[in-house]
Amino acid sequence: MSEFRVPMFLRGQVVEDDWIEYGGRGASGGFEAPDPAKYVEQLPLENPMAMADLYEISFEEILDVLEALGQALDFEKNVHIKRAFEAGLVATNYPASMLKNSYTMLPYVFERETIRELAEARVGIDHLEGWVPRTLRDGRIVRIRAFGARTLHVPAGNGGLVSAITIIRNAITRSDAIIKVPSNDPLTAVAIAQTLADVAPNHPLTKHLAVAYWKGGDTEIEERLYRPEHVEKIVAWGGYASVKHVTRYIQPGLELISLDPKRSATIIGPEAFESEEVLSEVALRAATDIGMANQEGCTCARVIYVLCGTDASGIERANRLGERIYQQMMSLPEHISTKPKTFDRELRDHIDGSRMTDDWYRVVGGEENEGAVIVSQFDEAVDYAPMLSGRVANVVPVDDIKKVTDAVNSYTQTVGIYPESLKRELRNQLPLFGAQRLTSLGYACHVTSTMPQDAIEPVRRMCKWIVDEECDPEKVFPPWKAPAIS
Amino acid sequence: MMTAEKTLDLFMNDPIEYFDASITKMHTISRDEIEALQRQGMKKRFAAHRESIEIVRNLADRLDIKDVDEFNDVTPLLFAHTAFKSYPAALLDNKRFDLMTKWLQKQTSHDLSEVDVSNCEGIDDWIDRLDAGSKLRVITSSGTTGTISIIPKDDYGGFYGMRLWRLFLFQEFFKEPKPEDLDPVVDVIWPNYAEGKLGHLRMVGLLKNEFTGGDESRFHPLYSDAVSTDLMFLASKLRAAASRGELDRVKIDPALLARKDEFQAMEERRPVEMEKFFKRMATELAGKRVFMTGTYTLMYEIAKSGLEQGVKDVFAKNSAILTGGGTKGHVLPDNYMEVIKEFLGVDRIQEGYGMSEISAFHWACPENRYHVQPWVIPFLLDPDTSEPLPREGKQTGRAAFYDILNESHWGGIISGDEVTIDWDTPCPCGLASVPIEHEIIRYSEKEGTEDDRITCNATQEVQDEAVNFMREFEG
Repeated sequence: MSEFRVPMFLRGQVVEDDWIEYGGRGASGGFEAPDPAKYVEQLPLENPMAMADLYEISFEEILDVLEALGQALDFEKNVHIKRAFEAGLVATNYPASMLKNSYTMLPYVFERETIRELAEARVGIDHLEGWVPRTLRDGRIVRIRAFGARTLHVPAGNGGLVSAITIIRNAITRSDAIIKVPSNDPLTAVAIAQTLADVAPNHPLTKHLAVAYWKGGDTEIEERLYRPEHVEKIVAWGGYASVKHVTRYIQPGLELISLDPKRSATIIGPEAFESEEVLSEVALRAATDIGMANQEGCTCARVIYVLCGTDASGIERANRLGERIYQQMMSLPEHISTKPKTFDRELRDHIDGSRMTDDWYRVVGGEENEGAVIVSQFDEAVDYAPMLSGRVANVVPVDDIKKVTDAVNSYTQTVGIYPESLKRELRNQLPLFGAQRLTSLGYACHVTSTMPQDAIEPVRRMCKWIVDEECDPEKVFPPWKAPAIS
Repeated sequence: MMTAEKTLDLFMNDPIEYFDASITKMHTISRDEIEALQRQGMKKRFAAHRESIEIVRNLADRLDIKDVDEFNDVTPLLFAHTAFKSYPAALLDNKRFDLMTKWLQKQTSHDLSEVDVSNCEGIDDWIDRLDAGSKLRVITSSGTTGTISIIPKDDYGGFYGMRLWRLFLFQEFFKEPKPEDLDPVVDVIWPNYAEGKLGHLRMVGLLKNEFTGGDESRFHPLYSDAVSTDLMFLASKLRAAASRGELDRVKIDPALLARKDEFQAMEERRPVEMEKFFKRMATELAGKRVFMTGTYTLMYEIAKSGLEQGVKDVFAKNSAILTGGGTKGHVLPDNYMEVIKEFLGVDRIQEGYGMSEISAFHWACPENRYHVQPWVIPFLLDPDTSEPLPREGKQTGRAAFYDILNESHWGGIISGDEVTIDWDTPCPCGLASVPIEHEIIRYSEKEGTEDDRITCNATQEVQDEAVNFMREFEG
């Protein structure tokens, strides 16, 4: 049984026809979407010249439209968003309280000054707005402008903010976007697109946005779409399989910007145990990093290394911290974290196994699938650490930082660290092993859209960096006059 | 006349004797009668294991379970397969076999204090030391999370399991066994490796004697080599490391690396041995009464290549052929059983359902349902909550078992399989025992999640992965 419908958005037109049924993720029912095979030819831009209208508008006008869009995304008033919320209740792992919270946050992402900061800090508004000149040593003047590109986006589905950020990045770079809807966030992108059409009908920003669902890996659709004559770049988020799948279409003229699967780590210094007050705060911050968005995000904390030593008193401290983190996690407010809607059975079996292996592990909580903290009683993470989800973290006591760097690799995105002095000590080392973002403990999931991501500058890479050179033979030596070198 | 207590002990420890070596008696005893015996047996075995196995006692204490009277009383105490790999894999990496022994001691009723692990070189060596110093004959299985399961079986259990196999292989339901049915001497065809610590390979030593009248020359393995557990562990680590993007961090034990040439030679021997194996079947073993066993896919692959070479109707009609084990990762054609039969030249192929974690093997009846052995209590659990489903009507759920015969380790196991049992309708085959429907699916396959198991089918593939990885360390 289909529980909702996912319309297609074609550059201002909403397609609600030719429905076919899809099974959803997990046990919940599926949904219906227009048959992508019937519309695949209409998804890409007709020809590159059609991008010209984006260069007739100013950056301030882009901000005007995005600001109006943000204001129109009011959860209480916007019917598209309401519908997306209701679909999300079925299609995602998020409980109502957290899902509602994420939609309530949506307008803030579109705040004018935030977007201005994003454009300025990540690309430079002057480069987006026009040609930025510079005279080089050899006398030539180069003028550089960041152009948009025809881009296909495969966003992650763990949270509607990814769709919002995709639409914003597309607008400020004056790009053309085809968004492939993720099945675990089926309606957010369409809802934002429909709202955009409401506030700015026929505007170039509306005409350069297409949103559709097809089943990821459907080669019949993808082989017709993922071609250099239709798209120049693919921005692919998420799981190993989906990114790996996209790589088959990469060829000269079609570039991949990969925001691939990531995990995060946490490092807590011995200062955490200075006093009861400090310990409580550290535990609350760690609990927030674990529990926020119910640990669905790649930025969430999973394995928490504690520099408390591995002698008896060190283990005792780790256990005390584990207990505290669990207590704090259970007291997090509902809009931030709840008991997970579903729990991985294999993980539960592993936790039960660890619970019986008390020489090596102490398990705090987890009996009701509400979340748990597994405290290793020696300096190794649990062997099933990559499975940790549903608010389950592993506290690992270590003697020194060497053990931690062993565990940081190219899959490590965020490292939450306490205290700041330890972070400064580690910031020149951890990136060598693969860490990409170091942040203050408690802020791992509190990300902003205006930073580099996954150790790359995705917004700069979404642009095409075009050079206009001016060479005056009076100033730049003419190559046709070059003498032979004997 | 036996006393009631003696009867219960006999049922718990030697059901063959209890049922006069008749598989028909085992499976026609009335449901009420067997369930009464099972309740008493479960109660008594639990009381003994609560004393002798530390993890059972700890779990029971934590859950405040002092006694089990009704079947469902035991369900909170059932172990998932993860219990057998709950040790930290770092202990194997660091060769802390003293600590591994300590971990294992908590899982078994047998005394491991005499096991000498000094200078133990690897997992195979450790298992050999356990063999030498205790009653345990542990078996291993493999996983993709960088660990392997270690299941503390014992020598009596293995031997008894083989006796049961012989009973079921050579008898038919509803025919009381004649003396010649009980002790036939046959050639054993073993399309597999000749040695190893994996569950099925551990049986080799027993197969050599139990079916061949003690004549080892009548045992015919496909490959003469042993599967190294240390190599399997490396393969498992490699898979885990690959999925974590950590292949650059894998350290190979120098003792294992030193054996690189040996492993490569083994890999190169395989095609030669395969050819010899077929030749032997088609010539020297042609027309003989044999016992042959292998998974569906293995049997099918062998039959297919045999038929392609023009070999068919190989063995005597009254040969015993046993298969099972799922078809994970392989798609077999609908007529695969016919292909196997045509090659082997038999009319009857027996099927069974079992798992490494418990000893019992449940044989299929002529109606293709697996009949639960009388010393095993089956359960169906809700796959999400692990709560027991009602023992009535037709139910589908996660299969779990309590094996009363199991002495060396705790006999309560939750499988990863979705199975269906009709508790109320007797099986049309006429047997009274609980029938499990033929269609069994692993939940991991059903949900498309990564399976944490490597079946015996994958052994070769897994070994090749590890050997290929080691090749990169030439020099």
